[in-house]
Amino acid sequence: MDILLHIFRYKFKSFLKSTFDLKAVTVVRGLGSIVVFTSFSIGAYVLANASTRFVIEQPRAGLFLFHQFLSMMLFIFFIAVNLGNIIVSYATLYRSAEVGYLLTKPVDYTSIFILKFLDNFLYSSTTLFLIAFMVICGYGSYFHFPWYYYPAVMAFVLIPFMFLSASIAVLILMAIMKLAGKIGFRKVMGILFLLYFTFIFVFFQYTNPVILVEKVNSASGIVGDAIWKFEPGFLKYLPNHWVALFFYYVAKGATWTGIGYAGLLLCVTSASSILCLIVAKKFYYRSWLVSLQVQAASSVPYSSDTRRWFDFRSNSMLPPQVEALLKKEFFQFFREPSQWIHFLVMVFLALIYVFAVSKLNLRLRVTDIQLLTYLVLFAFGAFLTGSLALRFVFPMISLEGKAFWLLLSSPFDERRLYFIKFLIGFFVVLTLALLVAVATNIPFLQFSARRPLLMYAGLFNAFWISLTVVAMNLGLGGFFANYAEKNPIRIASSQGATLTFLATLLYLIMVVVILMLPLTFYFQSLFLFREFDPRVIVVPGTIVAMLSTALTGFSFVFGLNSLRRDFS
Amino acid sequence: MIELRNVTKQFDKFTAVDNVSLDVKPGELFGFLGPNGAGKTTTIKMIAGLFSPTHGTIRINGFDTMLQPIEAKSTLAYVPDQPFLYDKLTGREFLYFAGGLYKIEKEILHTRIKELIEHFEIGQWIDKRAEDYSQGMRQRISIAAALLHHPRTIVIDEPMIGLDPRSAKIVRETIKRQSQQGVSVFMSTHSLPVAEELCDRIGIIHNGQLVFADTQEKLQVYKQQFDGKLESVFLELTK
Repeated sequence: MDILLHIFRYKFKSFLKSTFDLKAVTVVRGLGSIVVFTSFSIGAYVLANASTRFVIEQPRAGLFLFHQFLSMMLFIFFIAVNLGNIIVSYATLYRSAEVGYLLTKPVDYTSIFILKFLDNFLYSSTTLFLIAFMVICGYGSYFHFPWYYYPAVMAFVLIPFMFLSASIAVLILMAIMKLAGKIGFRKVMGILFLLYFTFIFVFFQYTNPVILVEKVNSASGIVGDAIWKFEPGFLKYLPNHWVALFFYYVAKGATWTGIGYAGLLLCVTSASSILCLIVAKKFYYRSWLVSLQVQAASSVPYSSDTRRWFDFRSNSMLPPQVEALLKKEFFQFFREPSQWIHFLVMVFLALIYVFAVSKLNLRLRVTDIQLLTYLVLFAFGAFLTGSLALRFVFPMISLEGKAFWLLLSSPFDERRLYFIKFLIGFFVVLTLALLVAVATNIPFLQFSARRPLLMYAGLFNAFWISLTVVAMNLGLGGFFANYAEKNPIRIASSQGATLTFLATLLYLIMVVVILMLPLTFYFQSLFLFREFDPRVIVVPGTIVAMLSTALTGFSFVFGLNSLRRDFS
Repeated sequence: MIELRNVTKQFDKFTAVDNVSLDVKPGELFGFLGPNGAGKTTTIKMIAGLFSPTHGTIRINGFDTMLQPIEAKSTLAYVPDQPFLYDKLTGREFLYFAGGLYKIEKEILHTRIKELIEHFEIGQWIDKRAEDYSQGMRQRISIAAALLHHPRTIVIDEPMIGLDPRSAKIVRETIKRQSQQGVSVFMSTHSLPVAEELCDRIGIIHNGQLVFADTQEKLQVYKQQFDGKLESVFLELTK
């Protein structure tokens, strides 16, 4: 414990020195972060408060349904944090140079594990804590909770909830390493993928929100907590359910019942953490050795006669420089497990969303709810696009690493280099964005099959949003480039990445605001049988295009200038 | 050919390179010496195009590095002191990648890479990923990559770091042969014996300023004023 505290003391000192460095660039960046974080916090608060008010009051969903939706969102959040932690923890616990250094010192393995686990948890969750806190404030202010409610909920409900997800992730990771040593890494990942897919599929089969709404509406005579009978049995055992129940009972005034569920969550989190420590004590070092084995197995040299697909030696119709760069990007991406696994996970989650949404019956008969539903789906699709760009496009320049000297000292025009990187990111993000846009708009085709205006608008917006978020992430990724960091996940969760994500969100909010009025007219025209003039969407569409073009152009200039900076 | 005219590099208020002017003619091997932090690497990075000079001009084979960077870099090869490679590429893939950047045709590249693998004796581990390479392995790959496109100018920073005696001999002989074939070689080194053995001209930089730049013959005369050792001249000029 003394050693651990000793290490923490120096890490904290180092953190303070780098955060409060008085260099002009650092100060400006810090002030900029404060401004952006504050703005976004206020936005999160307002949105949470407005959404709570709207969903509970407008369609008279009631506390039960609202908290059911909350439970579903918490489930998605839990799975996302869990999967993210598995991937990030692999890099932090098994590929970190700091671990390699500490293992050569008289520091016990458990202390190293705790250090890296907390390092990973805090590093990747700081922004989430802030967002979650402001959302809690927004939600809680609707119910007029006292001031001590908010820090208490953060400390005793939300942080333990995220901690539970992270500790389960690490347990799964160590199990992966144990199995990988016996049956191979790829087989284990395949099995894990299948298990997660099955679990998520089963969850959404039993908790379809539309079916739930219909069931509750049909049982109008039920009072009190008997309404929870509509919930499938196995959900009782999920932590997202306990958190939703905590919020439900506290909102109803039954605080002590709510606290009971918080207590349950705390107990399970504590048990999971203790189990994590026990397993780490026995197995962390051995699993670290297995990870070296796995890494060595992946870099066994192949025969010089073996030509693989997309081999550098194969001929190509592309110009030599373009071919060389594309192949380099390809191998760098697909030979880094944290890249392609994370990519597969995001694509997988997107496909689940696409599949689920395209089958929804969204004929809700009330203009305001219809509009809200469309905007929520649109915003989610845009958010997914932004997240994909942040995770994979933002690190693109940084991941050149210190080997960038070769490209920068070669006769490769930096504008061409930058444009090729942009095209790679744009192609991938646009493909997914268009798929999501199509799926999101399919349920609305039933309203006007002869004139699928929403579908065209959806595709139009998907194009501009993809273009802009990719440009912003590449440009700001170049500006905030950290060539010393090899871990793409740490790059994508750095301070610069957070600022970029918030800037992207700001842009997406502006797009949603611009589109709100024409969409309102559109849905009014459908439900109130009014005439709809398509020209109503021309001006907002033009504004979206102009705003996107301006941001894209600015980001290009910004990013190109970053390539022209001195490279140390 | 390399021409530096009144080149200065400032980082905020610190002047790393101060008004340096020198020429390296075709076929000349110029040794660039200096204590740690003198400005050697900064000068080299300006020549290679990784840093932009605060003042002054740098021309590579007649092309201004700021105004005609692509043309300048086409004829130049740069080998850094710390030869970072792309971890996920094998040595062979790195060489193909480097060759592609210089627009070398595939057929020519196949042959050239084969020759260089043999010459630098790197065939045993050329198909392993660079993340498993030692410093010396990376150094040999970097030097091999620099020679792919038959550059007219080579800029090499501390070439002997991490090399075993055999590899060091191969590199020394390669550098010498390149200059004998008419290539301008600008080499920084801490090793005074290597500088004396290989270089036609030697430059010494201290606190960003070029305090000595002349031929080996003139250096021999200068050495006589001390104890006949380059080390003494170096220490005197850089105190």
